[in-house]
Order: sequence, then C-alpha cells, then structure tokens
Amino acid sequence: MSDARETDRAATGASGLAAGLTGAAHLAKPLLSFGFILAIWVGVTAAGLVPDQIFPSPLSVWQATMEMATNGTLATDLAVSLRRAATGFAIGTTLGIALGLLTGRVALVRTLLNPFLTLLRPIPAIALVPVAIVWFGIGEGSKYFVISYTVFLTVWFNTHHGMEYIPDIYLRASRSLGASRMREFVQVVIPAAAPHIFAGIRLGVALAFLSLVAAELSGASSGLGYRLQEARQYIRTDRMFTLLIILGALGAVVDLVVHWLGKKLVHWQQG
Amino acid sequence: MSQGHVRVDDISIRFKGKQGPVTALAPTTLHLAPGSFTALIGPSGCGKSTLMNAIAGFVRPASGAITLDGREITGPSADVGVIFQQYALFPWFTALGNVTFGLKRLGLPKAELHERAMAALAEVGLAQHARKYPQELSGGMKQRVAIARTFAFGPKVMMMDEPFGALDAQTRVVMHDLLIDIWQKHRATVLFVTHDVDEALLLADRICVMSQAPGRIIRDYRLDLPRPRSLRAQAEVLLPIREEIISLLHPSHSKP
Repeated sequence: MSDARETDRAATGASGLAAGLTGAAHLAKPLLSFGFILAIWVGVTAAGLVPDQIFPSPLSVWQATMEMATNGTLATDLAVSLRRAATGFAIGTTLGIALGLLTGRVALVRTLLNPFLTLLRPIPAIALVPVAIVWFGIGEGSKYFVISYTVFLTVWFNTHHGMEYIPDIYLRASRSLGASRMREFVQVVIPAAAPHIFAGIRLGVALAFLSLVAAELSGASSGLGYRLQEARQYIRTDRMFTLLIILGALGAVVDLVVHWLGKKLVHWQQG
Repeated sequence: MSQGHVRVDDISIRFKGKQGPVTALAPTTLHLAPGSFTALIGPSGCGKSTLMNAIAGFVRPASGAITLDGREITGPSADVGVIFQQYALFPWFTALGNVTFGLKRLGLPKAELHERAMAALAEVGLAQHARKYPQELSGGMKQRVAIARTFAFGPKVMMMDEPFGALDAQTRVVMHDLLIDIWQKHRATVLFVTHDVDEALLLADRICVMSQAPGRIIRDYRLDLPRPRSLRAQAEVLLPIREEIISLLHPSHSKP
C-alpha cells in the first residue's frame, strides 16, 4: 500500500505532461458545447424566422461588442462593475468570516445572533435595493451595501457551519498536546473549518455578481447592469447579449480562479 | 524524571441518554504504577474507552476522583498523551508539522524545535517522510507519526485507544515492536485499550479485564515476562491466561 503511494508520488513529475493533455481534453468539452449552441444560434437567425432587433445574430452581437469597445463604455462599465463587486465581496467576506468564527466559537454570540441572521438569509438582494437607496443614496454606497450584505450572509453561514462540523477528535488531540486556546483556534479550528469557509467564499463570489446586477439595475449611471437597463430603453438586444455574455464569462472565470485558489490553499480537502 | 502515578478511585461515569442517564462505567478503581504498561480489555461497549477518556480528561466522572501524581485531573493536558485509533493527525500539517505542534508548548528556539521533531520522527523510522502530509502516508505510517507526536514532548502518562485496531496483522506486529522500543526509552505510564487478547498478552505487564456494560474491572493479571514475547515461546504462562480471558469475554463460548 505504502509502496504504491510512493511510486505515485515519484510519478507526479513525469505526469505533468499527461496532466496538461487531460487539461486540454477538459477544455474540449465546453468548446464543443459552445460551438454547438453557436451553430444553432447562427442557424436560427440566418433562417430569418425572428427579426434581428428581437433576437440578434452572432454577427450583430459581435458588431455591438466592437462598437461598445471602441466608444469606451465597455471598458469603463467593466471597471466600475468589477470595482463594485470586488469591494462588496471583500467587505462581505471579511465580516462573514469574522462573525462566523465568532458565532462558531462563542456560545453567547451564537445565541444572540444566529436566529436573527438565519431569518435574514431568505431575503433576496433585489428586495434590499429600495432600502439601500434610502439609506445610502444612489451613489456607490448603496451598491457596496447590497453586494456586501448578500456576500456576508452566505460566507457567515458557511463559516459557522464549518465551525460546527469540526471533528471533536482534532480538539481532543490539540488539548492533550498541551496547545493553548489561542493556538488551538489558529492552528486547529480555522484550518479544520477552512474547506467550508472556502465553499462559502465560492458561493459569495457568484452572489457578488448576482447582487451587482440587482444593485445596478436601479439607480446607477454606469456599470454593466446600468448598461443593460439603458439598452432596454433603446431596444438594443445586440448590446444586451454582449453584456449578458460578458457577465457569464466574467462569473465563470472568477469562479475558476477561486476554485483553483481554494484547492491550493485547502490542499488537504478530500475530493 | 517525571513520575506518572495514576489513581482512579471509585469513579463512575454517566451519559445523558434518551431515557434518562445511562451508566457507562460502574464504580471503578484502578491504580497505574509509574512506568507500567497496562492493557485494558473488554467486550465492545463495556466502557473501556470511557475510562480512558476520563483519565485523558475528556470526560468528567459523575463520582469519585482521578489523580495524577496526587493532583486531580480536571481536563486534558500535556501530562496525559493520547493515541487515537483514527490517528487524529492534522491533515493541514506535514508529518513534521504535526510533531512540531506538540513540541511548541516547550518554547524551544526554532532550530532546536526542528531538531527535536526530526529526532522524534527518526525514532519511528519516518525521517525521510517528514515533509509528507498524512494523506500521503499509509495507516501504519500515520500511527507512527501520532506516536512520535505524543512521545516527543514526554507526557507522563500515555492513553492508547485501540491504536492498532485499524491496521492489518503484519503492520500490527511491526508496530508492537516499535511501541515497546519507544516505551522502554521514554518510560511513560501506558494504558492500552484493546479488544485483542493476543495483543494484550504480547505487550502488557498487566491486563485488566472488564465486564459487559455497565463495565467494571473483573480480573487483574500481572505478567512478569521478558520482552520480546511470543505466544509460542512463552506458551506455558500465556496460553492458560489467554483461555481464561477469552472465556471471561465470551462466557457462552467457554469450553469445559
């Protein structure tokens, strides 16, 4: 058994190339899927069944993309939206982890806050927008609030859940090895909860994008969500498609990065 | 050096059950002499692990007292080391990191800390695997790391809860020799919980047999035999005891 594992380890260096090839194979499937959908899209629009203004062809979407790219709105909107999502995400994640560690560790805080926070969880981000606008105006403040609030609840919930799930045997081992409570917290409790915390962060990233659009759809003068709203006023479905594709691709890329980072940082996680 | 005199005086342990409290351990008295190796054997669910958990400080007795060198045990501490059946290694640390975790308490300078952790791993034959994570090690190697981690900082008492129960027979034989070697060097007081009669006969100076739940100690054997032992070479002494213990554990299967 142990011999087999050692051989496995020795082989990892040589298998780098093979891993690269499987990576390419992994990429092949999504590309096939995109190609398939694109072909149907081209077919439907070329058949002329639906007016281009209602359901634009890939070519029209491409032209709209180029137009938005050259007049500069695309880069500005992207930057504004990314800054909002990132800021909201950073605030929400920091607060979520901090409070999750606290409610997981301190019984009094748990008793005082958990029922209330659990009640807040089902409220959708978009329902907060009116309140946020009254409290923070239509500037950046209300966007940060809606995004960070949504991210916070999810990250808090996962962190707290991870703290509850820590196997008792780790705490027993730590205490019988004479670790102080502080060292137990930093070197045992946090790493033991880390897989759940990371799952929460990954969900938080997705929610940051969801609530970003919710926040920008009402009361914004820039950003991808605002631009979607503006495109509706001019019935520019080609622009809408561009923006939707960008939102999808952006979310997917960020999710991949977070997932990859999580695997690196929480390398001991099974499966 | 340190002592390691454990006195368990008339303790009983109860847990909350669905229909009121359940007695896990009937009033039990057990004294462990400093540096002795005692095996605790009994049918499953008899409370042998509960007794061990009480000495480790994980469970408080409902009555009676447990003292170590005259001081009452009120919770887990570095004086009582514990080896778990499931190893309880921290998967986020390497083998070396796990051993170092136990040594940090001593407040050594960094170089000495590293040196002592490496020495502890070398003692269990894992020096070349120091940088591996537990997930990369076999069951036997994991338990070696756990043994190194616990013996490294020199606890006075060592609780071992069926430590080799999850290992295959061959690995187990190797681990027995390793454990006896290390124990003879460190001379901690050992309480070794097992359900394997042969394991108890091969390792211990003393074997305490527990009854069915609610458990209490019903027989206490002293074995004054040289090590390494073998059931064949020391058959005269060991086999009759073996028969007796087996008939105590399985009264219905006892031969006339």
